[in-house]
Amino acid sequence: MYSYPETESFKEDPMAEVSGPSEVSEVDTTNRNRAALRRMFYGRFLRSLSVGFWVMVIAFLMIRLSPGDPVRIALGSEATEASVTEMRHKLGLDQSVFSQFFHYFINIFQGDLGYSYFSNRTVTSVVTTHLPVTLQIIALSIILGILLAIPIALLIAQSKNQLTTYLFRAFTSVSLALPGFFLAVVGLYAFGIKLHWAPAAGYEPGFPGSFKYIWLPALVNCGSLVPVLSRVLHSSLMDTLDEEFVETGVIRGVKKIRFYWSYLLRPSLAPTVVLLSYMIGVMIGGTVIMETIFSLPGIGRELITAVDSRDYPVVQGVVMIFGLIVVFFSFIGDLLGYLLDRRVTLS
Amino acid sequence: MTIVNTKSRKRMREGSFGLYTGFSMIIALILGGAIVPWLSKYDPNAPGGTPIAAPSGAHWFGTDLLGRDVFTRVFDAVFIDLGTAIIGVSIPLVVGTIVGTLLGISRNKRVNSIVGSIIDGINAFPFLIFVIALIAFIGPGIPSIVLALSLVNWARYARVARTRAVVVNQQGYVEAARILGFSKVRILFKHIIPNVSSETRAYALSDFIIVIIAVAALSFLGMGTPPPQAEWGAMIHDGTQILALAWWPTIFPGLALCWAGVAIAFVAEGLQRRLRETNSK
Repeated sequence: MYSYPETESFKEDPMAEVSGPSEVSEVDTTNRNRAALRRMFYGRFLRSLSVGFWVMVIAFLMIRLSPGDPVRIALGSEATEASVTEMRHKLGLDQSVFSQFFHYFINIFQGDLGYSYFSNRTVTSVVTTHLPVTLQIIALSIILGILLAIPIALLIAQSKNQLTTYLFRAFTSVSLALPGFFLAVVGLYAFGIKLHWAPAAGYEPGFPGSFKYIWLPALVNCGSLVPVLSRVLHSSLMDTLDEEFVETGVIRGVKKIRFYWSYLLRPSLAPTVVLLSYMIGVMIGGTVIMETIFSLPGIGRELITAVDSRDYPVVQGVVMIFGLIVVFFSFIGDLLGYLLDRRVTLS
Repeated sequence: MTIVNTKSRKRMREGSFGLYTGFSMIIALILGGAIVPWLSKYDPNAPGGTPIAAPSGAHWFGTDLLGRDVFTRVFDAVFIDLGTAIIGVSIPLVVGTIVGTLLGISRNKRVNSIVGSIIDGINAFPFLIFVIALIAFIGPGIPSIVLALSLVNWARYARVARTRAVVVNQQGYVEAARILGFSKVRILFKHIIPNVSSETRAYALSDFIIVIIAVAALSFLGMGTPPPQAEWGAMIHDGTQILALAWWPTIFPGLALCWAGVAIAFVAEGLQRRLRETNSK
């Protein structure tokens, strides 16, 4: 019911459809696969580099949208004209846009994202302190999401009941229309305030300790993740079930585990994996709000604080990092999707 | 005769359930938004009355921290929320469709690759994060939300439109119009854009759900309407502050938001089924 532009373009993107050279004998299949894989890898890699570059350009230009003078905001209203000029010079703002971008670009590769206007921290230190919390929540959401989506999709796909499938589809489309931040508030009310299963605030760094604080946000993320994943997995499982090799597997009496993995899941997982890498961007957005609701010290809460106080370098740095993370994961997702579905090269 | 009739009736039925349910839900919401604030004896925004009163005959949804009637406020917010989302979807729909179509039919490689890269770059950012960041730079408020949504979302429409325009541009009817000597502008607006926009409009409907939730989420984060105005996201935010004392100031605006989202989901699902039916015919 949602159309995801990213995955659609993956299908329609000419670069995504890598087909091997047409006239190769069957003996060369492995070589052909390897060559196609290499071509696919480099193609996607170059594309990711170019998108990553434009992410930096856009993040760089974003600060120019602000109506006020960033230097005056940074220095406060009592700054003298001289100190403003001095600060401009120090920040290189008196140079041309291109030379500014060049410095910005070089600094990124040296791990320097600038200084926060208001707290005495570098943007890099803000990111490195708070990003792990956010990534932990997202990682836990993905693990939970996969653990829930695979059995659900398998169960629905194997049940021959029309009504079950219909209810499943109806349920997934309805749950996709529910606002995640409201579900988070409901979760906070039910599990935090009424049942006391989750602490309403606080955090403890390190994984086993933090679990107590992040399981609920991760579960809320699954509220949007599981319907999307299980629905796509379900429809590709239905396609796979029509394949002859599945029947062959049943007739041969392949062991249960091997049957489920090699015959059913592995040929069906590619679209789900690509979608999952796209969902990381969606989940970053959800997690940012979740962190403010559950008062978790993640990068999202830092971002909201920075937005409220107009701490432009922090906003710019955080947004750029998130953009690069999404570019990275969509590259990985495409690659994994390609590796999982061997039929792409064999057909 | 009868066979033709049953067939057409069957086609009509496909997806009708979703369409009728969805539209009734939306109409109910709009009617509520028009009638309730007008009939209600409470002012939606002025403080007064008992604070945090539980739902009762006098206050169906209870009252919030400032003693305002939650029922009146939930419906008073309908037009702000729906309106912002509609404008926030329409502007990128129009801009994205036109830019994407022009890219799809243009032969200028340099423009194509630069604008294409910008589109890819914008789409690479997580949607909500990018909107939040833009609001940081242009300042909070409903006009800023619309502006930020437009700046971010046009690129998604442009991507959909470009892919479609490449296909449409090679169709026979476009070729025919060209041979007939119609002007480029006429071909663009009469033949190409209508066929491209059928795709982008379908995308707009599913995007509408994301946008209406995003608008509420931004208000929830304090980037939307300034305080006295009733708005679902802002109401949920205010309710969260007193969640331990009362659930109703939070849950009811949230349910209204869910209602709107689910209604559009029904319409989108119904339309999709109907389109699929028409296409497979």
